[in-house]
Parts: sequence; structure tokens; C-alpha cells
Amino acid sequence: MRKLTKTYLLILLILFLHSGSIFSQITTSPYSIFGMGYLETSSSGPFKAMGGTGIAFLSGRSINSMNPASYSGIDSLMSIFEIGVFGKYTTYSTRKEDQSLLNANLRYLAMGFRLTPWLATSFGFSPYSSVGYSINTTAQLEGTTQKYPKTFSGNGGVNQVYLGGSVNLIKNLSVGLNAAYLFGNLTHRESSAVFGYSLEDVSYLSNFNIDYGLNYQIGIKKWKYNLGLTYSNSKKLQTKNVTTIETDYETEVLKSRNYKYSLPRKIGAGFAMTKGYFRAGIDYEWSGWENIDFVNTYLRTRNSSRYSLGVEFPSLGLNKGTSRMVLYRFGGEYRESYMIIDNIPINYSSVSFGAGIPMKGYLSVINVSVELGQNGTTQKDLFRERFITLNLDLALKDWWFRKRKYD
Amino acid sequence: MKGMCAGKKGRKILSFFIFGIILIGSCTKTNEFTIGKDFVESRTKLQVIDTFRVDLSTVLLDSVITSSSKIAYAGHYSDTIFGSISSESYFDLAYESFSDIEERAIYDSSSFILHYTDNNFGDTTSLMSLSIHRLTENIVPFEKSYLFNTSKFSYQPQVMGSVSFYPEPHSSDTAVSVRVDAFGAELFDLIRNKDEKVSTEEWFKDYIKGFVITSGTADNKALIGFNAGQEYLVLRIYYHINKEEAEKKAITIKMGEATHQFNSVKFDFTNTPLYNIKTEGNEVPATKTGNRAFMQGMIGLFPKLKFSSLDQILASENWKILKAELIVEPVPHSYEVYGLPDSLYIFRSDRENKRTTLYSDKSEPMLAYFESDYYLHENNRYTYDITSYINRELSDAYINSFDGLMIGPNDSKLSSSFERLLVEGKHPPVKLRLYYLSY
Repeated sequence: MRKLTKTYLLILLILFLHSGSIFSQITTSPYSIFGMGYLETSSSGPFKAMGGTGIAFLSGRSINSMNPASYSGIDSLMSIFEIGVFGKYTTYSTRKEDQSLLNANLRYLAMGFRLTPWLATSFGFSPYSSVGYSINTTAQLEGTTQKYPKTFSGNGGVNQVYLGGSVNLIKNLSVGLNAAYLFGNLTHRESSAVFGYSLEDVSYLSNFNIDYGLNYQIGIKKWKYNLGLTYSNSKKLQTKNVTTIETDYETEVLKSRNYKYSLPRKIGAGFAMTKGYFRAGIDYEWSGWENIDFVNTYLRTRNSSRYSLGVEFPSLGLNKGTSRMVLYRFGGEYRESYMIIDNIPINYSSVSFGAGIPMKGYLSVINVSVELGQNGTTQKDLFRERFITLNLDLALKDWWFRKRKYD
Repeated sequence: MKGMCAGKKGRKILSFFIFGIILIGSCTKTNEFTIGKDFVESRTKLQVIDTFRVDLSTVLLDSVITSSSKIAYAGHYSDTIFGSISSESYFDLAYESFSDIEERAIYDSSSFILHYTDNNFGDTTSLMSLSIHRLTENIVPFEKSYLFNTSKFSYQPQVMGSVSFYPEPHSSDTAVSVRVDAFGAELFDLIRNKDEKVSTEEWFKDYIKGFVITSGTADNKALIGFNAGQEYLVLRIYYHINKEEAEKKAITIKMGEATHQFNSVKFDFTNTPLYNIKTEGNEVPATKTGNRAFMQGMIGLFPKLKFSSLDQILASENWKILKAELIVEPVPHSYEVYGLPDSLYIFRSDRENKRTTLYSDKSEPMLAYFESDYYLHENNRYTYDITSYINRELSDAYINSFDGLMIGPNDSKLSSSFERLLVEGKHPPVKLRLYYLSY
């Protein structure tokens, strides 16, 4: 195995070992008080710029973990290493006020290569959901006319590490699966610095889960048409709840509430069309949250849907088709989230655009994308998040088994 | 080769990415964020409860160590609340081998010199009268170290010297002289004649056993604390030698050991609410003393507080005491003549009323400073944070009904100051204010 590839593996391992801290507060949204928190999408670099569209796209220049069947598109001579980070600036608005926060973190890590001529694999690491908020309020000091400052905060999230494989079953039909291990903790805390106490609920979650994928391609004239399907079953997460009360004088572990968490059944379908360096696709994804309940008076769940579309096209002119060619992308996304808060459904919409810029003369690519969007609404006492996210993703390619080829 | 280059550059960009994450990731500001507050579900409730009964009583210590305090209190005062108190101050003299006195020296006079201190108690503007008596037995400290407010040694009934004066307690350059001319003349002759009575320490101590300063016959209204440092409390014998111009000379004999100097304090609670405290086993509840508790140094009066209804808390589940404050208020207008202590310590006490110092979270003895409201004379109080104590008491799920707290001076102040406090026990009562968190 090549030295560089070894380096990437080492970095992956180190980041994996530190995963708890690195992904611990990936989001900052008061909506992450609820349920499993803020659901993150697993789309990598190029797809992020296309509204998160990717179910029918094959992996090639980058790894597409949205559909495990896509790995069959990985070049037999290359290994791909990807790392993605983001910076997000969000303005939160109620009917009365606006507040803003800046937030940045690692988004995902992935590696893909062809293990044998018939089996392409990928493994990686990405957040599934995240909790991150800190809300300052006041509470009545009962028995007096005074109020005292109190903070509600949350952090943590569920991360997933996956190992996936894909095979060409018959010509133009590939199937694949991602075996994922989900783990993490959701921490919600209320505390008062003035009186030196905190009550903390931590739910430790873990379980294995499998995503199945299928990709079928047909070629008509110069166009290739792909149909992608994904499925994963509903799965209960193993949950351990620990509630702790801490004062300046003592710490006590309390009998915890019995919170339960599950992953929903998920069905996705996508369609893509490709001609040369041009490609476009649409996705639809459905998740069965409705029968998954969370202990919260404000939250009701519903089945969620995600709709997206995206386009990628190459720069024109001299560089077209060369290693210096820039790929442009744009897309849009609409999500009906699983949350209905205080009888108001929480929906998400965004537009995105970006570019894949090759590093001069080499095989690697920097994918830059900007996502503009909003989540939630200012109806009732709810709040709307308007955000701009800058995603920076690096896809490093390396010749795989090159040494042997030269020998 | 190309691959290697890509690797170097790749690694550079990778490091940049990772450092970028760490830098930006740490600058999320959340401390002033409030949006979302309508959707948080509080699981805790914090309330202030100050209705727990505090049982108040007054404890009289069997005795108070008053030796080595470097203050010689003499005088007397009488007051309708705390009764009448008088102090007699005992001391002896240090022996030294005396230098020769010339044959032609002529004795003039002798005085005990008493220097003022800031430690005075009562009405210091009235005429004071003090007397000095000679002891008929040596001062022998208990365990070679201690003497108590209750200690006594016999002395000659006749006065060897007395003085009447208007105290000038804040004057540092004036002193009170108590003339003891007759005694001085006798001692002068013994020294000049090199009598065996003054030849060794043993003989000297047998001859001069010690002295006591008593409150004179006049109706004194104060206790004056004189400096009982060995260099200050002295006997001075004045003489002169006749030359063309008289040469004045003096012999100064310093006070003896500090452990031999003490104040014997007599108190009389007749016609006060504490009249029967001794027959009641040195503790009377405030309900029998007009809902007040008494504190005074030198005598050893301590207010004691017990929290017998605190076990009501134990009946419920899921609570924590975040803070416990003890609020003690003086009886209004009870301190206009005698003042109030600037600060008071707090002690744990048991069935035998033994005091154990309570420590603050900083491991210092806990004390409260008097907080006063200069304009309204309301909210005058001493406040203690006794959270640790209360949590410890509650931690074994049992409240010992004899355990309690006492407030008062620390040991050094107890043996050197008459400072006093009258604690209000009813309007309002002593308050235990609990910050009670339930969940």
C-alpha cells in the first residue's frame, strides 16, 4: 500500500479515536433540543453543492455514501480520501428579535477504493444527528420576588462509522450496502452558575444499522440514465440514560427517565442523467418517524420527506476535459422534517452552488460550496433560522497499487 | 514522482483544514443567546424557605480563660439587661537582681503605672475609682498555663493604694498612676539594705506574692482595660540623691509572667432574664428570657441555635440544599451604649455545649461582619453561609436535637473583650434561609 494512503488511514484512525470531541457540537440550533437533535445529511463534497442530491449518482471523482451501490463507480486504480469541514453563520429570529451565531466544525471523513476487480469499498465517518444549543433564560426564585439566571444547554450527537461495499451484479446493475455503527450521546442540561447547580441528562446511544442500495444504469445514445434506490430498516438504538444532579457540595446520580430512541425506516429514490461531464439528478427520500415518540410536551413527530435536485456542468473553453477543468454545481433542497413543534411543522429549504476546483496539475480536487437556507418559522413563539454555510471538502486521490504496476 | 508531490501538497492542505476547524470551532459564542427559551422544559424548581423553626437559647460557659490576654480589666458596671459585672485584675512582679542604691539616696514615692488600651467597656466618661491590694498567696496557674474568669486568690482587705480619675482611654501618652508610697518605701529599704527578701527570686516571690486591681468603692460605670504587657504594667519607685542639684532616679519593676496575669470577672444576673441560668444547667431557652439570647465575652455567654424542625425536609425526596444562610439580628436599640461586635464567629456545638469552629469553604474560621443600615436602622444583621454545615447535618438523614450552632467571639477575643450582643428571637426570629432545589 502506498505511503500516502497509509498516512490517510492513520489520520482517519486518529480522528476516529477523537471523534467524540470533534463531532461533539457540530450544530448550533435551539431546534436540537428536540428528539434526536438536528439531523445531518451524509452527502459529501460535490453532492452538497447540488442540494444534497445523490441517490442515483455513482461514485467516481468522489465518494457518494448516500447510496452504497454507488461505490462500483470508483476507478479501479485509485484510492480516494475525503475530508469535509464547514463554517455556518446563522441568524435566529423570533417575532421580536434576531440573534446570530457562528459555528464551524469537521463534517465528514471518507475513504474509498476498489478492493478487488469486482468489489469496491468505502469506509468513513460522519455525524448522523447532533445536539448543540445554549439558551439563557431566567427562572423565578420561588418564595421571593426575585428571578435568577439559568442556562439550558445541550451537546453531543450520534455519529456513524460505516464500512460499505458494492458489486456489479449484472451489467449496469450494482448493489451495495453500508454497515454502520452508530454511537454517541445526547446531553441536555439545565444549570445555574449563580447557585452552582446543574441537572444533566445523558442518553448514550449505540447500535448497528444497514443501508441497502441499488443503482441501475441504461445508456441511450450519448446519455446515461441512472436509477438509484436506497432502503434501511427501522432500528431501535440501545439506550442508556444517566441523570446526574450536581451542586457545589455533591454529585448524585438519579434514577433516570426511560428515554427511548430509534432510527426510522428510510426509503429513497433518485434519478440521474449524465452526458460527458454534465450530470443532473433528483432525489426523494422518506423516513418513517411518525411512530417514534420522544418525551417532550412540545414535540410531535411526523414522517419526514426530503426533495432535492442538482446539476453539475463543466467549465467551457480550453480546459474542458483536461485535468484543469472546473466543475460547477448548483441545486436546491426542501425537507419536511420529523418535528412538529407546538403544532407547527418545521421545514427546511435551501439553495446551494459550488465548484470542484482541481489542484493544478494533480489528481486532487477542492470542492467548495455555499448553501443558503432557512429552517423553521417565526409563527407562534417559534424561531426561524436563516443560514449561510460554507463547505470546504478536499478529495485526495492516490494511485492504488501503483508500486506493483511499476514492478 | 507526481504522486509524491500530490502527497506533500495534500498533507499541507489537510493540516490547514484541521487547524482551521480547531480555530473556528472554538469561537462559537453562546453566552448571551436566549432564543428557544419558550421551548425548554425545566425539571428543577428553586425556592427560598425561611420558615424552619430556629430554637434559640443562651449558654453560659463554666469558665473562660482570661490569662495572658495582655489586658488588665478593672472596674464595674451595672445594666438592667445583662446585670452587673465587675472585673479584678491579678498580676505579680518579675524578679531581677537589683543594682546598688547609694547610702545617701532619699526615697520619694512609688506608683503602679497603668497605660490605657482601646479595650474599654461601658460609660468611660464617668469618674472611675480603682484600688490595689496585695495578695496573700502566690498566683498559681492551672496546668502552669491557664487562669480563668472564675479564678480567685486571696488578698489583704486593706487597700495599699487607690486612685480616682476621669478615664482618657484614647490618650496614648497619659497613664494612670496608683500611688503605693508606703509599700514602696518598705521595698526601697529592703533593696538598699540588700535584704535577703529581695536577694533571690524565690525569696522575692515569697515576699511579694502579687497584686490585684479592684474596682474602688465608688459607683463605677465602666470596665477599663489597661495594657498588661510586661513593659507597660510596672511598679516604679522614685528616689533622689542630694547633690548641688537633686539627681532624680527610679527603679522600675516589671510585671511578672503573662500566664500569671488574669482578670477575675464577677457577674450578677439578679433581676435580669438570666437570673436562674446557673440553676438551669447553664442554658436557658430564649422563650424564658423574653425571646432574646445573650452573648458576652469574658463571662462566656453564647447564643445557641438548634434546628429541630429541619427533619421535615427529610420526609420528601429529590431535593438539594444549594445554600443555607443564617441571619441573626440584634434587638433594636439594645446596643446604643455598649455597641456591637464588628464580627462574630460561628461554632458547632454538641450536647455539652462544646464549641468547634466552623470553617468557610476557603478553610478559614467562618465569621460574619455586622451589616448595618445606617439610615433606617433596619436590616442590621450578621449573616452566615452555613450550607456545608446544614448539608452535613442532613446527610445522615437524622437531625440530632442536641446539636446546634453557637455564635460569639473566638477564643482570643473571648478572653480579652467584653463585647456583647442581644439577639432578637421573635420579631423577627433568627432565620435559617434555605435555597431549596427540588427536581
